[in-house]
Amino acid sequence: MLGKGGKRKFDEHEDGLEGKVVSPTDGPSKVSYTLQRQTIFNISLMKLYNHRPLTEPSLQKTVLINNMLRRIQEELKQEGSLRPVFVTASQPADPLSDNFREAQPAFSHLASQPLLPTDFVSTTPLESCLTPASLLEDDTFCTSPTVQHDGPTKPPPPALQPVKDSFSSALDEIEELCPAPTSAEAVAAETAADDSKDHHSESNVQKPEGLPESRTAESKLMDSLPGNFEITTSTGFLTDLTLDDILFADIDTSMYDFDPCTSATGAASKMAPVSADELLKTLAPYSSQPVTPNQPFKMDLTELDHIMEVLVGS
Amino acid sequence: FLGAGGGNDIQWCFSQVKGAVDDDVAEADIISTVEFNHSGELLATGDKGGRVVIFQQEQENKTPSHSRGEYNVYSTFQSHEPEFDYLKSLEIEEKINKIRWLPQKNAAQFLLSTNDKTIKLWKISERDKRPEGYNLKEEDGRYRDPTTVTTLRVPVFRPMDLMVEASPRRIFANAHTYHINSISINSDYETYLSADDLRINLWHLEITDRSFNIVDIKPANMEELTEVITAAEFHPNSCNTFVYSSSKGTIRLCDMRASALCDRHSKLFEEPEDPSNRSFFSEIISSISDVKFSHSGRYMMTRDYLSVKIWDLNMENRPVETYQVHEYLRSKLCSLYENDCIFDKFECCWNGSDRQVYIVMTGSYNNFFRMFDRNTKRDITLEASRENNKPRTVLKPRKVCASGKRKKDEISVDSLDFNKKILHTAWHPKENIIAVATTNNLYIFQDKMN
Repeated sequence: MLGKGGKRKFDEHEDGLEGKVVSPTDGPSKVSYTLQRQTIFNISLMKLYNHRPLTEPSLQKTVLINNMLRRIQEELKQEGSLRPVFVTASQPADPLSDNFREAQPAFSHLASQPLLPTDFVSTTPLESCLTPASLLEDDTFCTSPTVQHDGPTKPPPPALQPVKDSFSSALDEIEELCPAPTSAEAVAAETAADDSKDHHSESNVQKPEGLPESRTAESKLMDSLPGNFEITTSTGFLTDLTLDDILFADIDTSMYDFDPCTSATGAASKMAPVSADELLKTLAPYSSQPVTPNQPFKMDLTELDHIMEVLVGS
Repeated sequence: FLGAGGGNDIQWCFSQVKGAVDDDVAEADIISTVEFNHSGELLATGDKGGRVVIFQQEQENKTPSHSRGEYNVYSTFQSHEPEFDYLKSLEIEEKINKIRWLPQKNAAQFLLSTNDKTIKLWKISERDKRPEGYNLKEEDGRYRDPTTVTTLRVPVFRPMDLMVEASPRRIFANAHTYHINSISINSDYETYLSADDLRINLWHLEITDRSFNIVDIKPANMEELTEVITAAEFHPNSCNTFVYSSSKGTIRLCDMRASALCDRHSKLFEEPEDPSNRSFFSEIISSISDVKFSHSGRYMMTRDYLSVKIWDLNMENRPVETYQVHEYLRSKLCSLYENDCIFDKFECCWNGSDRQVYIVMTGSYNNFFRMFDRNTKRDITLEASRENNKPRTVLKPRKVCASGKRKKDEISVDSLDFNKKILHTAWHPKENIIAVATTNNLYIFQDKMN
């Protein structure tokens, strides 16, 4: 069953990318649609940021790529804001619920709805897990695809408390930065933190048989996608910044110093620490978000470092 | 597919190929524009290195009767040089984006050539005589000692080897912030337009220090920019009418009499999207890369990534005809997006002004080019390759196998060479002679004369 599920996804990946895109509402093809969309999103980002020619880049190309990114971002935002809250009927095994508990506080923290953890059906066969569109949306965004809720809620294991704290405080900061975060953005930000990856590995280990396939497959999905969703949140920033600063307005030459992509070798490692600072310097005047002067930017720094690493391919 | 045969079908034969033979393409030799002059006697090409090469057709009486005159190099000159924009720290490419000929008024020929920023008017003139017998100068130009002059004579013109000189007569600069994609000479032969990504300017051919902005789609906030101008052309007969196309697949027809700034179109040509073909790439492939009026001015043709569309100027809501150039690429759009091929700008052209025949031509990949006959509704795919270079041998039609079993002589989509693209083609204004540019070679094909 594992192999079957995994293969199907990769097949769909192949077809979905090249074939005509399927409507977002198709059942099993929702995965391929999302995959395709994410791949195109990443390619588009790469195109915008990797291209540093000696001559001005083509404005037409830039505009078309930007439109592509915007459309995908819009879609993601819309999907994020439509995320429903599920309540499952089935009772999971205890170890299961313990594991999933780790992810719950994060979600509950973010949800603008009542603080119920979002729940997913877990014990149904893999194919059914994939089918409902809303489930799949959540799968791709939240990276902890199936979370169990049992009636009597158990307190999270103490060992996880510190993780939760730093995580939710990080999320706090994100929320302050973005006063009305969509679930998509906020969740994606969450994935940017290393903690989420720890969640993954831990929960992957202790799963009942109904779940490991979806878990591993999802993790594989996340790992295999270049760039990952951590790009997603800050693209709002970066896109605005780029449009303002790099692509359209008269170019401030200081941006050229910051550019991570001018040379293929050697610059990458050197660039990373510098570029985040430079970005922040230039981010401040151009950010369209209301930002208080003493706003701690450390979350941005981490995210930006992530992004820079991804972009320069380190 | 359309095979050779049928009374009115043109049978295309290889005539000539110009350019380097080796597979290693020098960047500067990449052909970036091809254009016949109004008589068809001259054929100009521009390249990425900023050079213009003009070929001239041999006169009829010199050629054997079974073929039309060959094109030989007539003049070569450096039209544009690379420049550096110090303000933006960026190079300005010398690549020639477009060449447009002026109709001939006297012995000299005039053409406009443009790179991304500057348009130049070049005069190409012949010199086949030179004055000899100066009193004060030797034949080699050295001045004679006046005291040695004992007699006077009148200098006379004596024939010399033909020399073709190109000299820049006007330089139209500093009017475009963005990259010029089109120039088009008005039917009044006094003015012309130049279009960049966001603006269109109107010039007088005699005046270089002033141009009028007639279209400006730059938004106040550049963040809101979602559409750019991709091509523009004057109507062939109405000197007040021009069209411009956009990256969203629309064409706007403007009348300069309506207002000084033609930001409001008189007509908007746009075909509603086919929902069954919708994809992430719908917008990109709808971007129009070329627009050309028919000779009569009744129709216009647009080229987008996958198709050629013929529009009747009287009908705005959809084209009257659509021809699929390489529909088999629709399933490959993601790869083509990744390798940037989806942004290739293919041009298109009408056949010469034969009133009975309406054929349109455009290029594709693998050095294929396509022709669509509007009357017979048939189409043909031909290849520009040195392997077919036996003069007077009819070119063999090509076929791409989209899927399924590949027949003999068919080429599968996956074997297509996407580096071999034919972006520029031109049709002789009067005869069935076509010029097809591969990356760095220029092919000339003629129809088989019997």
